[in-house]
Amino acid sequence: MSGIKEILTVIQSEQRKAVLEHEAKMILRKMEIIVPPSALVKTKEEAIEAASKFGYPVVMKLMSVEVIHKTDYGAVVINLQSEEEVKSTFDDFMNRFSSVDVAGVLIEKMVGKGLELIIGTNTDPTFGPVILFGVGGVMVEAIKDVVFRLCPTTQPQALQAIEEIKARVLLEGFRGMPKVNKKELSNLIVKISELAWEYKEYIAEMDINPIIANEDGLFPVDARIILK
Amino acid sequence: MKTRLENFFNAKSFCVVGASTTSNKPGNVVAYNFVHFFPGKTYLVNPKGGELYNNKLYKSVLEIDDSIDAACVIVPARYVPLALQECGKKGIKNIIVTTGGFSEIGEEGIKLQQQMFDVMREFELNVIGPNCLGLYSPALGYDTMFLPGSKLKRPSNGPVSIFTQSGAFGAAFIDQLSRLGSGKWVSKFISYGNASDINETDSLEFVGQDPDTKMILIYLEDFKNGREFMQKAREISLKKPIMGIKANRTETGAKAGASHTAALSVNDIIVDDLLSDAGIIRVITWDQLEDCVLVFGTQPLPLGDKVAIVTDGGGAGVMASDMVSDCGLTLAKLSAEVQKKLDDTFPSFYSTGNPIDITGSATAADYRIALEAVYDDPNVDSIVNICIPVIPDLDIEEYIKITKELAKRKEKPFVTALVGGEEADYATVELLKDDLPAFESPGRAVRALGMLTEYTKYLQKHGVDPRSIKMED
Repeated sequence: MSGIKEILTVIQSEQRKAVLEHEAKMILRKMEIIVPPSALVKTKEEAIEAASKFGYPVVMKLMSVEVIHKTDYGAVVINLQSEEEVKSTFDDFMNRFSSVDVAGVLIEKMVGKGLELIIGTNTDPTFGPVILFGVGGVMVEAIKDVVFRLCPTTQPQALQAIEEIKARVLLEGFRGMPKVNKKELSNLIVKISELAWEYKEYIAEMDINPIIANEDGLFPVDARIILK
Repeated sequence: MKTRLENFFNAKSFCVVGASTTSNKPGNVVAYNFVHFFPGKTYLVNPKGGELYNNKLYKSVLEIDDSIDAACVIVPARYVPLALQECGKKGIKNIIVTTGGFSEIGEEGIKLQQQMFDVMREFELNVIGPNCLGLYSPALGYDTMFLPGSKLKRPSNGPVSIFTQSGAFGAAFIDQLSRLGSGKWVSKFISYGNASDINETDSLEFVGQDPDTKMILIYLEDFKNGREFMQKAREISLKKPIMGIKANRTETGAKAGASHTAALSVNDIIVDDLLSDAGIIRVITWDQLEDCVLVFGTQPLPLGDKVAIVTDGGGAGVMASDMVSDCGLTLAKLSAEVQKKLDDTFPSFYSTGNPIDITGSATAADYRIALEAVYDDPNVDSIVNICIPVIPDLDIEEYIKITKELAKRKEKPFVTALVGGEEADYATVELLKDDLPAFESPGRAVRALGMLTEYTKYLQKHGVDPRSIKMED
């Protein structure tokens, strides 16, 4: 887990509360959590190189402290199929965001469709760091199918939490969807709860959402960390 | 490690500071309780001096030569910091402050409580309260509940320990338990009020290790030490059942944050999930809590979720069946042997499936056959015995006798619902006299089984045999 504190300290020294996605994913990698292959690039050439290394389709996301709600600003473009599309998206980003402070563009291997889950953490005024697991995606706040545990959580607690969501049937291979590996999922819950607990002096809130569960495994596709 | 409340309950000498000579005043009631029931030495303090209940009234704790293990301070709020200071100088470490008028009343009270804190810190005191009923243990003759015995009836010694944030809730529930069945229910009662020092987590820790406590009942409105409370509850709930009310459910939680997780972090949803993770059976209403005492206190835990229902009324059976599924229970499929016995014995118009409906033609003998058969059926984990006593051929005395026999076997949980008027009430009272669970509706009886079964499931998930949980040594 070495290096996480350093990353968080740097962000704090920049007076930032929002951890950018590429930083958040770097932290997840350091927790030995598998995230889709990605690279932060500064130039069009680097973007093309990274995309061809990962293989198409790819996703491109603008990394900027001024653009936190990326989707709202059109700063995420998915399903890019070719070098041409990567080039034009890169140009488009540079045009549209010419006045903001851009840290770079995150090129990421696109994860295939699957069930969208959320794992998040928050600092509860009564209980301190708590972890949430549930049905993820953009409608998470409308569906509200989530379960809480104290951080750090154990694997049996996480497995039990997984069984407590109303939509648990979705994890069993619902209507042709792949079955979710619950052991792997509980490991992910445990690791994220440990991250929130170990770095509770720094981390206020965290959303790993969506985590896409498909036939290849579990993939945290977006990660948001808010510091104290 | 010794828990902090042990120092209070194990006291061999006790001092009532503010012992009043005016009958029924709080300081008078507590003095009466200790002089008459406490087996250790009791000292009474009143600045006016004199005598009370043949005991000397010391003008100050500092006049007492003997060492004192614990004290109860019952003086007006403004004198409390001074009284604590004198106790501190005397070397009394464990003090109950029942007086109200502190942080709960606003700014002035907050100031007083702050003065209390300063004294507590200076003398390293353990304090229960202020604004509470303090402690009660019938077996130990320990009773700081300042309400007179003519008004607040005391339950006698039993398996249940209770801790409560609200004194009024505590008083009402204690009074209620005194008239529930034999009244033999309470081991330790802790009302900690404003929790200036001793709080819910200290209380849980104490009753968790107390060998005389077989089940734990709680009433909370908030947590002083929520994280540790949940961690301790996780350990204790594998050894004894914990159940109770966490009120204040609409309290708003964390301020809205930037994440979905923060937006979803509603205080009560987190509390609910953490209570269930810690193995605490959460109930919402007051009557459920009394039902908990009745079933957990008198019946064994079921080994599974399969319920058999015996009824003389179809509607009652249907409603009970609905509640079975609402509570996450299932209707047992009777074993072939039991099924055959029922089919062979009963007339064809009795319904011998589950629920077994022995109809308005039922006799007490029919109840015996049906109830014994399902009790002995290995496919049945628990039994609901429903009776609407208005039917002509039912001998109520005989029915009560059969019910008592079965409910006392205690191999499986057995609950009874008596639905109706005078005769139903009569039978309920008769069963309760022997501390057997009897309820006024099928739903309430099934819900009680639901709570028992919820606990069984929790234990089994954690690899604990429900048979290891016992109400008696």
